[in-house]
Amino acid sequence: MLKVRKICWLPCRWKSGKKRWNVLQHKKTNCDRALDSFDDFYGSVYGGRWKNMRAALLTEHKYVAMVNNFGDTEQTCSMLEMDGAINIKSLIHLAQERKSQVQVQEEGHVANSTEMDSKLDALLRKQQEREVAAIYPQAGEDGAAVELPQKLNYSKDEKRPAEDKKEDNLDYKQSLTKALEEDMQLEQDRLVDPQFGTGGLYEYMPANSIKGMEDWVAESEHYKYYQTNVDFPLKIEPETSFYYPEHLALYTYEMGNCSDFKSPKKCLTGVLSHFLMDGGSILPPLFLQVQPGERVLDACAAPGGKSLLLLQTLHIDHLVCNDVQESRLKKLKHVMQEYLFDYKERWQGKRLIFNMGDARNLDEYESYDKILVDVPCTTDRHVLMQQDNNIFKPTRIKERLRIPELQSGILANCLRLLRPGGSLVYSTCSLSPVQNDGVVHMALQKVFNDHGITTTVRDLSQQVALFADIFKFEQPKGLKYGQMVVPYLPANFGPMYFSKITRNT
Amino acid sequence: MLRKILFNTQTVLRHQMQVNINKTATPAPLQLDQNHIDEAIKLEPTLGIYTSDVWRRAHETFHNHGLETMNFLRIVTGNPAVLKRSPQRIVDSLEIWRACQFGEYWLHLLLTKYPQLLDVGADGTDAHQLLSHIAYLKSRVTTNKNVWKLLMNSPNILAQSEKSLEDKLDYIIDVMRIEVPEIVKSSALALGFDELRCRHVFLTRLGLFKPRALKADPNEPTTNNKLYQITDTSEKTFATKISHTTLPEYEVFKELFARELNRKGKRSKQPEEEESSDEEDS
Repeated sequence: MLKVRKICWLPCRWKSGKKRWNVLQHKKTNCDRALDSFDDFYGSVYGGRWKNMRAALLTEHKYVAMVNNFGDTEQTCSMLEMDGAINIKSLIHLAQERKSQVQVQEEGHVANSTEMDSKLDALLRKQQEREVAAIYPQAGEDGAAVELPQKLNYSKDEKRPAEDKKEDNLDYKQSLTKALEEDMQLEQDRLVDPQFGTGGLYEYMPANSIKGMEDWVAESEHYKYYQTNVDFPLKIEPETSFYYPEHLALYTYEMGNCSDFKSPKKCLTGVLSHFLMDGGSILPPLFLQVQPGERVLDACAAPGGKSLLLLQTLHIDHLVCNDVQESRLKKLKHVMQEYLFDYKERWQGKRLIFNMGDARNLDEYESYDKILVDVPCTTDRHVLMQQDNNIFKPTRIKERLRIPELQSGILANCLRLLRPGGSLVYSTCSLSPVQNDGVVHMALQKVFNDHGITTTVRDLSQQVALFADIFKFEQPKGLKYGQMVVPYLPANFGPMYFSKITRNT
Repeated sequence: MLRKILFNTQTVLRHQMQVNINKTATPAPLQLDQNHIDEAIKLEPTLGIYTSDVWRRAHETFHNHGLETMNFLRIVTGNPAVLKRSPQRIVDSLEIWRACQFGEYWLHLLLTKYPQLLDVGADGTDAHQLLSHIAYLKSRVTTNKNVWKLLMNSPNILAQSEKSLEDKLDYIIDVMRIEVPEIVKSSALALGFDELRCRHVFLTRLGLFKPRALKADPNEPTTNNKLYQITDTSEKTFATKISHTTLPEYEVFKELFARELNRKGKRSKQPEEEESSDEEDS
């Protein structure tokens, strides 16, 4: 094929190569934005440990292989074992034996995490100051120092102090809608009254705020979701038992070994042999501890790894998978079709029910024994690697800042869906304390205030210790309501935060 | 106070004594004694087979070209093969090195530090190759002095192909944005390209190394580690002291990074193949 450039003379844009700095300069991508924001936020939350997590997040992650019980199970197991993988079940049994031999006294970690609180406070203040400084330059043009306003005036009314909690709650819910309404009024304010003529426009008026900043969403708004004052009955009890499902076969490599798994193959029954998933994702469904005969809901199911794990325990009689988007639900159905034997005859619509809807609007109250709430979050690993569909895109800032609100809405509603005595596991794949402990706190407060539901947070630290050979966990001191797997190069799983909550009878 | 004065006088005295020794040592060139030969043989037993005539002849050759007896002994113990060479061959190789124009004093330092360099021009065949290699290096690091510094730090660049040096220099200058003065202070070029890139990417992902902004003032201090700290350290020191992590983490990273590059390489090859097949189809 003849190239056009070969036939006609076309002017070449970079005759002597790209040399100028502004051409060479790397264009800032969404991933870079995400990284900058994480550097800023997590750097101050996790301190020196953040750089290790950063390197791990930016490097390939490690998988865990879940053997499909509906395929050639034994063959797959022996194949994985031949490659050097270890069955997690045996690791857990070993750890349990060790634990029974040596009575380890672990102190409850739940006391208080003043460290984290003060860090977040400082961060909030810093972010606010920076935003103020960015909008109002340090000194006036004439050289005189201009007194900085203490707060951005993007919303008209001052934030009330946190005395009135109900008011505060309303604030969270309506912050954005209120801002939008105010914007409408501002639009009218800007119209020039014809009786003054356009001459009025030229009259000198010292500027006291910048036009166009009225609908500005400040990043510091995000940190306000993190509150620490407790005004609901908070009960934290240590979880006593842990039962590893007998039929579940999960394989992993030991810490420091980063070999690959073979890709799944078709089995005799027409389904795939094993499912590869992030190691962190196995923990929330395991800690849900589903018993035979229970009715289970996966509130945000796609892409289906966790739901599939629940099914692979062979304990499930009735699983409802919910997701908000049709495309995501389609993906989930596809996964189930590939991994479940006799999908159409035995599963679809009978034991496995799909539901498309916003998890905040589900209304089968008090009807589930167990709920898995794997909420949408900033997906820290994903946003650093994938350009498309990136939540750090500048146009999605409002969506991003409202994530904690959405998460707490989902969690609060799921708490209502639980049968009294039932329990749920809330999980995110984000390192942000705002989306983790902050959201749990907000949701617990909300369900207590609005519906009078009281809950017990389960302390999983004993159970988590069983997995300490495989995962690296965040120190329990920094977390209030849950546990977290942190990315660490030799065991590059996660991040995965999970918290188990039981509804009181 | 008294102590200070005493201390001062002591140091002055010691200094004077040293000066005296130097004075006596420098003007009268040391002759080759049997003592020297014995000491040299003790260090390098293979030298024992040569007669004193051979020793004297070689010593004279080096001496005529300005190399001190001590330097001669160092060269001979470092590279015993030099001793049996004919004076003409030694002179030839010295002349080739002289043609690189490092300056007599600096050349002597270089040859004393790495006596093996005298082998380079010894065959007469690769003299041209050496000179063109030096010329290439000069074109990249601008001055002869810098080439000399490079050789002092990493003599093995003489054995590397121009292509691999080019890759490394391009990477250091364009990607790491480190300038020549810093490059010649390190032995970065002695390292393999993959190793160099792996260390740099590890630091970047940790957030410890940020390339200088393109328009930034070159004199502005950076918080980045110096190149010699990155490259002239053992793996353990690099992992613990420079990047403040642990050795297992760095080792796992090396493995993962190699795999990542491998995968990327495959991916970038595939589209090319597809394109070419498309073209064939059309």
